[in-house]
Order: sequence, then structure tokens, then C-alpha cells
Amino acid sequence: MRPPGLQLMINGQICRLDTGFSVAPTMTLASLLREHFGLTGLKIPCDLGACGACTVIMDGKAVLSCMVLAVEAAGHEILTIEGLPADDCVVQAFAEQSEPGYGTALQCGFCTPGFVMTARALLDRVPSPSVSEIKEALSGNLCRCGCYAGIAQAVLHASEIQAKASTR
Amino acid sequence: MKPAYTPRVQRSHVGAYRPRIDGIEKASGRAKYAGDLMVKCRVPGLLYAKVLRSPFPHARIRSLDVSQALQLRGVADILTFEDPDVACLKSTNAGWTDGVDTLSYERMMWRRFRDRRVLGSHARWVGDEVGAVVAAEREEIAEEALRLIKVDWELLPFVLDPVDAMAPGAPILHPELGDTNVLPEDTVGGADVFVDKGDIAQGLADADVVLNATTTYHNATQNSLDNWNCLIEWSRDHVTVWSNSYEAHQTRMHISEMLDVPLNSVRVVSPYVGGQFGRGDTGDQPFFLFTALLAKRTGRPVWFRHSRRESFHDGRQHICYEGTIGAKTDGTITALSFKSIGNVGAYADHSMFAIKFAPVEATEVAFAHIPNVRFEGRGVYTNKMPACMMRGVGNSQLNLILGRLVDGLGEALNIDPLEIAWRNFGHQWEQLPNKSLVEVLRTGAARISWKEKRHLPGEGSLVDGVKRRGVGFSFHPGWHAEWQELRRGEVHVTMTVNADCSITLDAPTVETGTGSNTCNVLGCAEALSFLGISSGDIHWISTVDTDASPQDCVQTDSSVSFLQSEVMAAASKEVKAKLLERIALLLDATPAELDIDAGFVYRRDAAGCRRSVKELLCEASLDPITVSVSRRPLGTRTGVPFIATFAEVEVNTETGQVLVLRLVVVNDCGTVMYASGAEAQQIGGQCIALGESLTEEIIYDERTGFPLNFNWIDYQIPTMADMPEIEPVLLEVWRGEGEYGACGIGEGTVTCTPRAVLNAVYNAIGVRIDSIPVKPEAVLRALGKTI
Repeated sequence: MRPPGLQLMINGQICRLDTGFSVAPTMTLASLLREHFGLTGLKIPCDLGACGACTVIMDGKAVLSCMVLAVEAAGHEILTIEGLPADDCVVQAFAEQSEPGYGTALQCGFCTPGFVMTARALLDRVPSPSVSEIKEALSGNLCRCGCYAGIAQAVLHASEIQAKASTR
Repeated sequence: MKPAYTPRVQRSHVGAYRPRIDGIEKASGRAKYAGDLMVKCRVPGLLYAKVLRSPFPHARIRSLDVSQALQLRGVADILTFEDPDVACLKSTNAGWTDGVDTLSYERMMWRRFRDRRVLGSHARWVGDEVGAVVAAEREEIAEEALRLIKVDWELLPFVLDPVDAMAPGAPILHPELGDTNVLPEDTVGGADVFVDKGDIAQGLADADVVLNATTTYHNATQNSLDNWNCLIEWSRDHVTVWSNSYEAHQTRMHISEMLDVPLNSVRVVSPYVGGQFGRGDTGDQPFFLFTALLAKRTGRPVWFRHSRRESFHDGRQHICYEGTIGAKTDGTITALSFKSIGNVGAYADHSMFAIKFAPVEATEVAFAHIPNVRFEGRGVYTNKMPACMMRGVGNSQLNLILGRLVDGLGEALNIDPLEIAWRNFGHQWEQLPNKSLVEVLRTGAARISWKEKRHLPGEGSLVDGVKRRGVGFSFHPGWHAEWQELRRGEVHVTMTVNADCSITLDAPTVETGTGSNTCNVLGCAEALSFLGISSGDIHWISTVDTDASPQDCVQTDSSVSFLQSEVMAAASKEVKAKLLERIALLLDATPAELDIDAGFVYRRDAAGCRRSVKELLCEASLDPITVSVSRRPLGTRTGVPFIATFAEVEVNTETGQVLVLRLVVVNDCGTVMYASGAEAQQIGGQCIALGESLTEEIIYDERTGFPLNFNWIDYQIPTMADMPEIEPVLLEVWRGEGEYGACGIGEGTVTCTPRAVLNAVYNAIGVRIDSIPVKPEAVLRALGKTI
């Protein structure tokens, strides 16, 4: 008999997996994406839903992939940072932030993919967020390098770039 | 737009506001960290290692039974403390080096304290790696196997408080080192009274005012997000280690010395590292060794990683300081005396660096004009998590008492404490007042509106009926100028000019986030500006590989930002000479007749036309031109610049909550190497600094010795919503030697904030709180309210 399977959409591609030894019932979506698919942009620093570095977008909403079981993701659409277009305005704005007085939006970069995905989901929902809305939305992500001021600027810039692109 | 800093010398590249060179790689998730290389789908045959950790604060393993664990499907190997491979290993210390230099076992920095066994049987804190390590096909299987190991524990009495640990009859943690928990005097840290300048009794007798204070700095930890890990392969006689160790050559030395493998048979590869902050400052942790032994025994690649809980592994020393200051009525300090007790936890590691070494440096560079100075300090073993290195090592704890004494003295003498500071503090190679200190304090005071906002303690106006506001400051000497880096030995850089005039830059250092990679590229573009290149023409090699790279310049001391650029500045003449030598052959000239400017070669006698270097290189041999240079840092004693933090707080007298409204962080940098990166360090450092001030503390159950908050829910790191407005201020007042004369700044950005916050709290409520973190209950207690 064929073992029960797991089917999900990752970055626009349908993926089918056999559950069993390689996908244990206890496996999280975060581990599945990293270990099985090699999508290592997301990180798993805490594995406890406390830091946000594993954030991916599931059916349009930012989720902590270390808090989702792989089997729970069956039938859902997952977007990881690898699935963002190369010219995504959030990625560009995080990379380029250097406005005086705010520092850069990243240093070690380990938390960055999580911040980028949380910010991406925010801008999809609220295209022109205020600084306090940004702080609220991103307060589940930890950046120990402390680039919070630069990150907030980057999200503001991303929203401006996005607005310009949509009026073109 | 916020104000940009004004450079002392306008340069083409160095000092710029610009994006990081790794910005797009990191923002797009493409940057690879060690853990990303080790995922199962990329490493066939991968085994996962998990080590047994003590569930007790103090215990011995009488015996282990691994028979049941070995039978579990998926278990490949179990190594125990009784195995000859392990039992034969020398005792070690996780303090071989502070990262600055690469040292052998015999010459390790804290060789007096070789107090660690690799997989020993004596557990000294809850979480201590002891007894056994398992390699299995999956991490969960390894964890399950650990649960199946039957351990016969002998429970021992434990002690958590250093004063209790010094009392007669206290359980002794390291009987092999002596019959006391007090760390012995040693040649590096010095005697217990390790500074005794002038006559402290006379200095106090000469004073018109004498003030005492006691401060307590609690035990924060680094909390880099990239949990420490390694993947090791042992193939024939070669050991290859991929790791997020930030000290590739020191890790190689450690493995070579401990496992008796020649240095050229150990290869350590470190790509990007996700934050460091002092975590695992040294590459000499036992986990490298037992992972290597498992790889050797199984013949398969083995991955060991710390979980988040296990990453609460080492942190800052919990230090209590008693301080005494004596001064004349005009504010001239006559005596400064400190006594400290540091809780080093279960292992000495680098604690004596914090307790003795750092204060000695501070004395040299800041207390030179105070005639009578005394420091006495002791480190004490207890059954807590070991303390090791953390950003701002030793200076953070010292600043908590120093800033308290200066602030208190100002109040006692009715003199502005800023004036007390610049009247007294400076280094010995300069007359007072120290120009850097004056400028740092004046600038910070202006930015925070010191004169307007400062009032008598507790006498500011009430906000919303229950809140009181106040401002405070603290200052400290910076550190890590070139002359303090002599122990580092040679700093290496290799620059290659390719045939298309693009540059490959091997300035080996493991990039932990500090931005020194961007500093290096800017330094390279500046040094080779005669080629007319931009920073985009330079490729910086991001992975340190001991098989391919010269010795890495370790990211300690924040000094990589300028050390390698200084070498490049010195090497640029050699690059030009080699280029001219090759081009001269083509142009039928001697190199002396030619020169290069803005990417064009011309004859010095102005005959003939200018031709581009790129075009000529393509016509000449296509071999790249490579210049490898190494240079010892300059030893000229230039003192160091100063740093300061100014804080404005609002204290809710009903709830006890301290809200930091604003921080002004001022650094005299000598030369700003990369403005956006420097500001990111100033702003970013406040995440650790404010966390330590307000929330971060490891809490133990005193009854069981069990740590209660080894996770990021109960151990609270500031988030974006918790951070105040931070104003970074970059200055260039002091100047060191060399082309740039810069100074490391990133490490020090955490140093002054806790005291600035505490002084601001005092200014707000008029009651002193001298212990951090300042949690609401501490404020309410200070205000005499019941909790």
C-alpha cells in the first residue's frame, strides 16, 4: 500500500512527499523547508516561536514555520524568501538602507530573512504603514545586532518604492 | 533627514554612508551560514551529535550504562568519559586566547586555570556537558538515546552565591586546583590587589569629600541568533571543520594541540556568522573535540549544534563592585579605590579578563592623572553557568561603579558631573583636559539638552500625575587603538589585481555582522584609488578557510575595521610598483619613468598619451598581480578616545516601570571608516545595553540551582517596540597613528548605557538604584512602596 503522502505548494511549485522516516509526524515546517528542500534562507534560532527568524508566508499570512508542523502545511501555499522576486522592494530596501542617523537594516543578517518576510506580509496587507504599525507588526522578530531603527526605515522606504511602482 | 557626521578629512571611499557590501546577499536570504551548509540534503551520510548535560548543579557520575541506548535504531556511536579516546585528553580551558592572538596549549592565556575536562564525570552546573555524547541518524534519535543512558549520579552540595562560596565549609568546585573556590592569583591577571598606585590612604585623607557606593551587574548573555555549531569530517589523517567559530586559526590550533594532529592536517572553514557579541570568544570549546572524535570513529560527517536552550552557555560576569572616591572641594579627585567580587560560575574561562585585565587597561588610559588608585578583585567559582566573554568585557561592570562615583561626587560638591569627568580623566600621554573627553561630553550634553532637562534629583515636574523624568550620563575610555593590538602579531591582507582591473581582496576575518568587510572594501578602494576603481570593482572573500587564507584577523576589539585597511594603505605602493613593472615592458620604458593616476598610465615627462591600466593589463600577460602583505600594528602609544551615553528616562512611580525615552550615543572614532556601519554599531549596541539595563538576567531557582529562563520568552531581549529613539553621534577628535588613526568603537557602545540609565533614574526619582537590571519591583522597593 502506498504510504500517506504530503502535498503542498512551495514558491509556486507543487511538492509531494512521502511521510515516514524522512518526514516524521513531529517534523516542523521550518525543518522540512531547510532539511528536505534546502531552503536555508529561513533560520531556526529558537524553535519556540520567540524570535521570528523562521517566518514564511502561508496563504498570504506571515507564520512562524517552527510553530507549524510539516503535516499541517499540507494543502497550503508557502512562500519562502527564495520565492520572492529578485527585485522585491522589501529585499532592496533592507539591503540598501544607509540613511544617516539610522544605521543599516542588517548586520549579521541571520534574522533578516524573517524580518523581510514579516515586512513583506505587512506591506501586502497595509501598503503604507505608519512607524507605529511597523513596530507593532515587527515586534515578534528579534534582531540581536539591534538594527531596529534601520529596519523601520527600510520598511518605510519599501512602502514608498511599492507605491511608486503601483502608480506607474 | 538626521544630521550626518562631518569628516575631518574628506576621502573618496573611507568614511562613507553607503549600503553594506553584503546587503543584498543577506537581505535576499542567499548568504550561507555554517548551519546552512550542514542540512541533510546537502551532506549525505550526515550524523547528528548530542551531548549529555547535567540536570544537577553539582554532581559526579559514578557510572554509565549505555547498552540500551546503543540498541536504539539509528544510533551510530556513543562516546563516554571512560573511553580511552576521551580519558587521555589533557585538561583544558575555554580561555586560550581572547581572540587577539593564536596560542598553543602551553602558552594559553589563562593557563593557571585548566579546569575543563572534555566530557568529564564531574558536573558543575545545570547544563554542564558531561559523561557521554551520542551520534545518530537524526537529532531526535540522539536525544532519545541520551534519555536511555542510565546514569548513576552522586549528588554533591552546591553553592550559587560567590560570598557563600568563599565561606569555610563551602562545597569546592575544583578540588584539582586547590581547596578554595577563589581563583588563585596568576601571571596574566596579576595579584588580587592588581593596581596599587600612590598611597590610597593618604589620598583619602587629603580629600575634602569621600563617597562610597556599591553596584551590582547581573549576568546577561550574548544571545547571538546563530547557535554555535560545527560539522566535522575526519577522512584518513585530515580533519575538516565547518563552523560558525569566528576564530578559524585558533580553532585549528586548539584541535591540533588537543587531538595531536599536525596543524596542516586540520582545516577550519568559517563562512558568515550570525552574530557573536563575545559568544564563544575562543575556538577552544570541548564540543569541537568530541565531535571530531565521533567523526573519526564513525568515518562519517558529524554535526553538533547547540539548541537555543543549550546556547545559554556562557555570558557576562555577575560582578559586585565597592567603590570609594575622594576629592577636593574644587572637584580634583585625590583617590579612587575599587574592590570587586566576580561570580565566574563553574569554569574560569575568561573571567579574570573582566575582573582584572580590563580594569588595568582602563586605569592606564583614563586614570593616569589621579594620583592614588587601587583595585582589588577576586573571581569565585560557583555552580552557575560559566561567565566568559561578552561585548564590553569587564568595562561594562567597571563603568557601572565609575559613573556612579562621578555622578555622586558632582552632586556632593555641587559641580556638574561632566566637569568632574573632564577635570580628572585622561591618559598619561596628554595634559588634562583630554580634548576627546571634553568634546564627547559637550556634544552629548547639547544633543540631550542636558542643561535644560537636568534638575535636582527627584525634583522634576510630574508627568501624567505619576511619572517623573530625568537625564543621566556615563563616560568611559574607548579601547582597541592600534597600539593595544600588538599581541595580535601580523595582520595579513592579499590584494589581487586581475587582468580586467577588477580586484580580489583576501582580508581574512570571519564576518560576524560588524561591517568590517565593508570597511575593508572601502579601505581597499581608497588604497588603490590610483586605479580609478570603485568599491563595486572589489570582490571581498567572505569565507575564511585555513587551507587557503592567511591567518584571520579575529573580530574581537572592533579593530578589524581599521587594522586591515591600514595594511592595505601600506601595501598600495607595492601594488603600484608591480603594475608599473609589468606595464613598463609594454611601453618600452622603465618603471621609474611612469606613473598611474585615476586608472591611467602616463609618462612622468608628459611625453606620449595616457593609456588606461585596464587596456594595458589586457595587452600584457594576463596573470593576475598579487601582493600579500602582513604588518604588525603600530606600537606608538597614543592613548585612546572617549565614549559616552546620555539617557533620558521616564519612571512611573506607581508601577515602577522605567521607560527610556531617548539615548544619545557618542563615540570619538579617530577616523570613521564606514559611517553607516559605525552608526549601526552605536544604535545596535543598545539592544544589548538596554536589555542589560532593564530586563536581561538569568534567574536561578535558589533551592535547586536550576536556571529558570533559558529561552527567549522568559529571558527578555528588547524588540523593536521596546527601543527608544537613539541618536548616534560620530566624532573625530583624537587621532591614533597610521593612515587613518582610527579606534574600535562597536564593542564599547554597550558600556556606558546601563549607568547612564541608572543616573537618569536617580535624577528622575531622587533615590539611588545601583543594581541592574532595573525591574519595576526594584523601583517600587527604592520608593518605599509595598510590592
